[in-house]
Amino acid sequence: MSQQDPIKLIPRNAAALRRGQTPEAAARLVTGNSAATRLESGVGNCFPGLECDIRNLERRFFPFLEVDLRDIVRDGELIAVAVIAAVDAAGVQNAVAAGQLSAAQGAIYQTIANEVNGPNGGQPPFWFIEELSGSFIGQLGNQTLQLIELRPPSVGAGRRPPDAWTAIRLLAEDTPVTIVARRDGAATTQTLTGKRMRYLDDNGALAQMFAPGELTQSLCSPWTHDFRDCGCYYWAANHPDIAKPPLLTPPPNLPALNADVPWQRVERELTDSPVSATANQPAELRHYEINHLWQTLNFVLEGRELLGPYEPGAPSQVEPFATQAELETHLRYAAGVELAVMHEYLTAAFSLKVTGPAGTLLDDARAAQAELLRVAIGEMRHLRAVNDVLAAFSSAAAPFTPALRVATSVPGAQAGEFLPVLARPALPAVIAEFLVIEAPARSVDKLYTRILATLQQRGTDEQEQAIRAIMAEGEEHLETFQFIQEWLGRHSPNDYLRAPNLAPPPAANPLHQTLQQRYRALLQQLFDGYRQGLPAGAPNINAARSLMLGPTGLQGAAEAVAQAGFLVVFEPLADPRFAPLDHP
Amino acid sequence: MQTLAQLPAAPAAPLFKRFASAVGEHLLIVPHSRLFDVPAEWAAALDHPDDTNGEDDDVLRLVSALAHTAYGEAALEQVAAPTPQSLSLNVSTSCNLACAYCYAGQGAFAGAQPAPMTWETARAAIDRLFAGADAQAPVTVGFLGGEPFVNRALIQQAVPYAASAGAARGLDVRFAVTTNGTLLNEADVALLRAHRFAVTVSVDGGAALHDAQRPLAGGQPGSFARLCAALRPLLDEPGQALIAARATVNRHDFNLGERFAAILAAGFPEAGFAPLRNAAPQAGALTDADWPRYLTALIELAEAELARALQGENIRLTNFAVALKQLARGASSPYPCGAGGGYFSVAANGDWYACHRAIGAPAYRLGDNGGLDAARRREFLTARHVHAQSDCQRCWARYLCSGGCHQEAAQRTAASCDFVRGWLEFCLRAYCELSARRPQFFSSLEEQQ
Repeated sequence: MSQQDPIKLIPRNAAALRRGQTPEAAARLVTGNSAATRLESGVGNCFPGLECDIRNLERRFFPFLEVDLRDIVRDGELIAVAVIAAVDAAGVQNAVAAGQLSAAQGAIYQTIANEVNGPNGGQPPFWFIEELSGSFIGQLGNQTLQLIELRPPSVGAGRRPPDAWTAIRLLAEDTPVTIVARRDGAATTQTLTGKRMRYLDDNGALAQMFAPGELTQSLCSPWTHDFRDCGCYYWAANHPDIAKPPLLTPPPNLPALNADVPWQRVERELTDSPVSATANQPAELRHYEINHLWQTLNFVLEGRELLGPYEPGAPSQVEPFATQAELETHLRYAAGVELAVMHEYLTAAFSLKVTGPAGTLLDDARAAQAELLRVAIGEMRHLRAVNDVLAAFSSAAAPFTPALRVATSVPGAQAGEFLPVLARPALPAVIAEFLVIEAPARSVDKLYTRILATLQQRGTDEQEQAIRAIMAEGEEHLETFQFIQEWLGRHSPNDYLRAPNLAPPPAANPLHQTLQQRYRALLQQLFDGYRQGLPAGAPNINAARSLMLGPTGLQGAAEAVAQAGFLVVFEPLADPRFAPLDHP
Repeated sequence: MQTLAQLPAAPAAPLFKRFASAVGEHLLIVPHSRLFDVPAEWAAALDHPDDTNGEDDDVLRLVSALAHTAYGEAALEQVAAPTPQSLSLNVSTSCNLACAYCYAGQGAFAGAQPAPMTWETARAAIDRLFAGADAQAPVTVGFLGGEPFVNRALIQQAVPYAASAGAARGLDVRFAVTTNGTLLNEADVALLRAHRFAVTVSVDGGAALHDAQRPLAGGQPGSFARLCAALRPLLDEPGQALIAARATVNRHDFNLGERFAAILAAGFPEAGFAPLRNAAPQAGALTDADWPRYLTALIELAEAELARALQGENIRLTNFAVALKQLARGASSPYPCGAGGGYFSVAANGDWYACHRAIGAPAYRLGDNGGLDAARRREFLTARHVHAQSDCQRCWARYLCSGGCHQEAAQRTAASCDFVRGWLEFCLRAYCELSARRPQFFSSLEEQQ
């Protein structure tokens, strides 16, 4: 085996692939490859960005030659577009010796090799491909092209390719190609004939002729040229399509400044009437413009372009509760709200039809149900957190009574507005209301904002963090409901609901009764567990968890009610510990 | 996983094996079972690994680099004690059949296991397993004997218990049973359908052969008919159960094709063969002269299955299907099975043995329901690591065969090892051809998993 010949080993099983996945191998730089990428995970296109530049394949289109497709301009005049960068002289010699190449052709290669191989390859005097003949894919057919004359557009009868690279790219693989090469300034030319090389071998791997780093050698930063195309739903999350324009100082209160503008607009002058994103085809920077102007694109925070350092707005003024009693009352109400919304979410979740033929409808309904159940479980965690905060306020003189009463209404979007708690199927209007309930700075979030402000004044760090965690999860729930709205919005409620007019079961329905029994048992376990606290209450809390999930739990009972064609409904309980609770 | 010791491979241990298939030349890197396609002209350079004239330095350097343990792989030198994840319970100590070659002496293990397992013992073993199990990997509870369904009351009690206790701990609990199938009743079938059971049925072939090899306890024929009748409902409607047939091959009959056809005709979706190595002479254990005949018969059968797979159908020969799956994954282990590592077998009296075939053997008794003896376990695992087997040190198949069943190590001969290598060479070739010509076969395997 000669040390010069690279050996291509092609992995044939998972263990062979794994060998390349050591941290050392991942960190190892291959000469010529971009520092940030590895070829096997690369995305290639014809822009000089991303991870590989497929134009480099065409460097090897002709046997034994490496061709650089670059413009050579002298005194303002274009003199060459395809420069011969190197000749595989050893390969030529072997081919002549093996009778695969004529001695005359071999001599021509050798003549070129003598000048272009070596330290001055590509420097004057240089060799370039002047004329290209061959069979081109599609309507182009057989043509002889003077490469330097190619220009876009490429249209109509007798059309020619628009440029040298496209021409070479369109040569049919394995078909005869003839090139006429000229030494810069020489009067005569040399003609070579060969087949258009195959870039891949029989296994689909890159052919042996490509050297490591060759496909990546022309990469530049994607943050310029190609970044222009990274629009929404594609590639870079940090490339907004639209944003609100920068505010002038002092900001006049103009509607135009609160409308979105195209982020990479051509018109970048600061004005109080910027071009709207909704205008008909607003002018945006083109590829070559953005290469020069990318630094003029503005940072965007909170949806608005900034020209200077970010200054956070003043925090909204939230009034803490005046007394400890008022705080505890609101904490109890917050616990009741968690239970109440859990009821509503479970009712909605089990109203969805999660059986049927495979397809988008079934996928969307199942995803929506799974997410509703996940959010409902999240509310149970919140319930626990609120009870933990309340328990910490108790003392021997005032022992802790767990907060497990169910709110009859939840805060609405406006101050002083309350929404009744209702058992409803997952109709579009109901999901919209869930979005209101979970929206930041409104509804439930607003309730917790006052609790948090109070705890910041006189609570412990742990209590404060517990409430912060609930509020953060509320934001996540909001996002989840937005997804659910999108998934279900693709279908008619008649299609995704179990039945068009779902109603609560009759009070005596045995499945309904089982559900109520299990729910009561669950609350009882939670009550005992919360009252004892940890670790003494752990068995009760674990028992409560078991009562929630699985076919023998709340889940199974709810499923049975739903399968019988009814809404899953939780009846108000008479037990004072779990009785309905009105808002304060 | 706790590392107990390091056992380096012998310096002369071969690092690679070159082989060819219909799709080209290939290289097996022995450590970690990596497979590569190599250029034909270069493959010749692999043929003289022992040359010391410098010509092969490049080859050896490359091969050594490829043999390195990769990120996320366990080092093959390690003697490690993984978390026990699988347990078999020897629930019964008797059997309604009287097969001449039974390793368990019908479940009594020559008097070492006189009384059937009690519920208390079974529950304690399950609790012990679950308490230490890793929730990230599946946990398996198996039932063996004797014929396990002789003690069906215990199985009927243990399965729901294990299912609910496992669920409470967040474990992915699966079940396994090896049975002669003749005693299954309606309740047993319902239980097997309702859980994720791997049901291995001992069936040696068609009625005549099966009845001869597996007679009823009184010596009469008829076991095949009983097996078919009792198993029919489960074969027709398996529910969650995965059923496979396992046939014991003795030296008196190598007509595997006929047996295979008879077993499939009985309704089994797949069947595997196990040659008899360790048995009384009259039972027909294979001798050196028999191994080449067995290899020829097994390959002939597998060739037909390979042709099916190339046409897009499934492979029904378990030995072959498993080998292909393992090669695709690059399975490579210094142990042939989980004995004493991730797997234990609990005797009827509650003692934990490394292997179900070794009930009563003191060297295999590594603990009981109260816990494992760490020193004995370490000793057991160190002695059985493939690097500790002098026969295996220069074998290219050492991480695929790993020395074979511990119970049969004493019967290992050059001829039986040639059989293993011959079979693996066939499987390697078949894997390369199938993966090149019908790669979807392996992607659908991944989906099934």
